[in-house]
Amino acid sequence: MPAIHSTPLRLTAILLSIFVVAASITFTVAYVVVKSGFDNALLQEIDQTVASYRAIGDQTDLLERLSQDAAATSPEMRIIQYLPDSGPRIANVVGFPPLSGYATVPEKLIRHRDSIADSYLAKSARVGRGQLIVALTRERVIEIGEVFLMVLLVGLLPTIGIAGAAGYVVARRARVKLDRIQAALSDLAAGQMAARVAVDGNHDDLSMIGEAVNQMASAQEALLASMRQVSGDIAHDLKTPIQRVAVILDQIRRKTVLTDGQDALLDRALDETDRIVRTFQALLQLAQIEGGAVRDRLAPTDLRHVVEGVVDFLGPDADDRGFQLDLVTTEPGPFTVLGDAQLLGQVLANLIENALRHVPTGGRIRVGLSNDAGRVVLSVADNGPGVPPDERDNVLRRLYRLERSRTTDGNGLGLALVAAVCDLHGAELRLNDNAPGLVVRIAFPKSGE
Amino acid sequence: MKILVIEDDKTTGPYIADGLREEGHSVDLLANGSEGLIQASVGNYDVLIVDRMLPGIDGINLVKTLRGAKNQTPVIFLTSLGGVDDRIEGLNAGGDDYLVKPFAFGELSARIAAIGRRPQMQDEPTVLRAADLEMNLLTRKVSRAGQTIDLLPREFALLEHLLRRKGRVQTRTMLMEAVWDIHFDPMTNVVDTHISRLRGKVDKPFDVELIETVRGSGYRIDAP
Repeated sequence: MPAIHSTPLRLTAILLSIFVVAASITFTVAYVVVKSGFDNALLQEIDQTVASYRAIGDQTDLLERLSQDAAATSPEMRIIQYLPDSGPRIANVVGFPPLSGYATVPEKLIRHRDSIADSYLAKSARVGRGQLIVALTRERVIEIGEVFLMVLLVGLLPTIGIAGAAGYVVARRARVKLDRIQAALSDLAAGQMAARVAVDGNHDDLSMIGEAVNQMASAQEALLASMRQVSGDIAHDLKTPIQRVAVILDQIRRKTVLTDGQDALLDRALDETDRIVRTFQALLQLAQIEGGAVRDRLAPTDLRHVVEGVVDFLGPDADDRGFQLDLVTTEPGPFTVLGDAQLLGQVLANLIENALRHVPTGGRIRVGLSNDAGRVVLSVADNGPGVPPDERDNVLRRLYRLERSRTTDGNGLGLALVAAVCDLHGAELRLNDNAPGLVVRIAFPKSGE
Repeated sequence: MKILVIEDDKTTGPYIADGLREEGHSVDLLANGSEGLIQASVGNYDVLIVDRMLPGIDGINLVKTLRGAKNQTPVIFLTSLGGVDDRIEGLNAGGDDYLVKPFAFGELSARIAAIGRRPQMQDEPTVLRAADLEMNLLTRKVSRAGQTIDLLPREFALLEHLLRRKGRVQTRTMLMEAVWDIHFDPMTNVVDTHISRLRGKVDKPFDVELIETVRGSGYRIDAP
């Protein structure tokens, strides 16, 4: 059912009402013209009748003729009333209201015994030695009005019906096309660059819009593909010289005898190239994950294995640096999610590393794994300085760092990667207050959703 | 070992070839994929080192073609890409190992040693030994000079990995991949912490250090 706000249906309604108004005006004008024609004819007939009585010169003849006519005439067709200056009243009704000149007189003003018409056109005139009223029924004029109304209805109703139905059909077809366009657009907005509008062969405006949307999507898809290509090329073009630098530094070390001071400088140079490469790598990985390239690699994974492995791997280091890193599970599991074990491991490693970096030495980091109403929830809680509420969205952006963190290690990509991986898994990522500290909570979708 | 390096970069190619020659390998270097494919098919090499992006045929297709022709020469891929899927894609194409540029030379030579001399499929040993260190794989007991050493499961796995590859350098990345199955960059040198803890139990109480640090590469147990 197309909604009333659908454009074609609204247009149909507007056109229909214009048509109805126009038709009504035309009919009204025609009715008025025809009616006045009938009224004129009545007036002439009345005038002729009055004139025929006037033609009788003798008062006695007049009275006699009027008496005959009044007796022979049905008041339903014609009312005759003659009030002589002296003598009895001649009439075929009981009483007619006094009037001068022409007037339209309704039934209710006339006193009568026989059945009479609803409305009369009457004329009062001086004839002989008395006042004559001749009134003719307006029945035909009224009937004409009824006929006109009938013609109007009979003509209009099917028109409204047919136009309405046609409008509905057109609106429905337009709605289907609009729905297709809308669906394709929202798919495109959601990053499914392969989405297209199914276009029929028609060349109406909506089909053309559909084709335009498709053209735009194709252009965007091509642009995206070429951007990926370009970033791949940039990776290659930038990393090759970096690699050459690393190669040259390594050759210096291997082929030259260096003093300790020079050796230390060389180590620093190698460390820095390593950092550049790692940052670059992280950006590239982030771009790939956000591009959804790994979506088809997701498989049922027991998060417990992943989490245990990472906590086990990072535990001794955290311990040496004076932190307490624990894994807390509420139940034996398994905690199965549809995911990529390596990326999820990296997410947890990033979160733990992030906590190790920002929580003062001696702090506590608690990794939690639980089931919350059928959803697997992974959390990392610390008792460090936390993140102010208004900054919580920002820290998930790439290369964003809190002012107080500018001097700490890290490239500002760790949490951006966490956000991207969560997004890839359809998991809900929340940064909450741990009072004190920060708790990062990742709720995975129920399996099968 | 007889090694073919197929790498088009004019700095990296000779660097790899020279470095491997210094280590005593016999090395051929080619800069073109098509030529590399022909040479690899006829040259009877022990190891192929193949860059992912090559003029002619790219690395992935080169190795796919080789594998299609039943050539099983071990392959190490080199790449500048290092994206999420690249490692899997390389391994699926028939590669045996995967190295992201830039890499330390030690990383490459350790990986060549690892895939060029795969542990022979002899009878599975039940006891691994290095000097006076003994690891029983059935009872999962470790002792040195007659003293029992208590190891955590992951420490046991780490020591076992080194003992099984006696004499060969294991880089930090190789250990991380093999013992913890971690294939991402954890941004810290956590492996060092694990080795130092293992040393605390295996080496520290004794006179001779069995776990060696190989500068610029990784770790090795090299004892009879």
